[in-house]
Amino acid sequence: MSSRTSTGVLKIEVEQRGGATIARLIGSANMVSANHLQEQLLSLVEGRPQRLVLDLSGLDFISSVGLGGIIAAHVRCRHHGGSIVLAAPTPEILALLQVTNLTRLFPVRDSVDAALADLTH
Amino acid sequence: MPFDPRPLPHHVVISSDLRAAREIEERLLKIVSGLGYSQECAFAIRLALEEALVNAHKHGNRCDPGRKITISYDLDERRAIFRVRDEGPGFEPVRVPDPTLPDRLSLPTGRGIMLMRSYLDDLAYNDKGNEVQLIKERRSCPREHRPAS
Repeated sequence: MSSRTSTGVLKIEVEQRGGATIARLIGSANMVSANHLQEQLLSLVEGRPQRLVLDLSGLDFISSVGLGGIIAAHVRCRHHGGSIVLAAPTPEILALLQVTNLTRLFPVRDSVDAALADLTH
Repeated sequence: MPFDPRPLPHHVVISSDLRAAREIEERLLKIVSGLGYSQECAFAIRLALEEALVNAHKHGNRCDPGRKITISYDLDERRAIFRVRDEGPGFEPVRVPDPTLPDRLSLPTGRGIMLMRSYLDDLAYNDKGNEVQLIKERRSCPREHRPAS
């Protein structure tokens, strides 16, 4: 199953693979598009996935508002007994996750495949 | 570095609206790019500007489109200086808690000032707390390059 939603600067593609829901974020999660990101992630989490993988390889920018959207989804996901894994961030986004200490809140994997491999271990 | 109240050479006034803020941010980033700042430096400036503009709109102007945001700037090949002023009552930045503490990691808000401090060379507020000054030194950016002439 796959679906796609977008604003002018942020596109979100969703698929089911390897027992997980994968959401690929493409573009920028900036002051205009961050609300769209949060709405879409919260909508996904309402489906109660056990594992939601956010593929960040196509995300070139995210601000604190966008990070807040991911965190809000994380909190809701945990409430339902699931978890969010971040996969393949660019060096800039990884640095952002490190400086905010969010690498202590989220597992971060080098690739979507690596995130999916965690499921089998 | 303390807040410098002397006017900067350029300024623009916009309605307190995120799309208008986004447009001016894009214009300023094009100038920065044209000056040959590295990708890392441009990312830092974009992030800091975005955080300052969102704070001015949300916390300063309370999302009231009838209020204004004033952006002033001085950009050259050595450094980028921006000031972002809102029409709110101001605040005390030192009272904003550290969002990297373990008990605050799950909170979705409160990271803007910390990010600006982390990615800039200097961040300062005026006495009232309704105008922030952002300074990014080009020499502080890794993988610096100059455009081919």
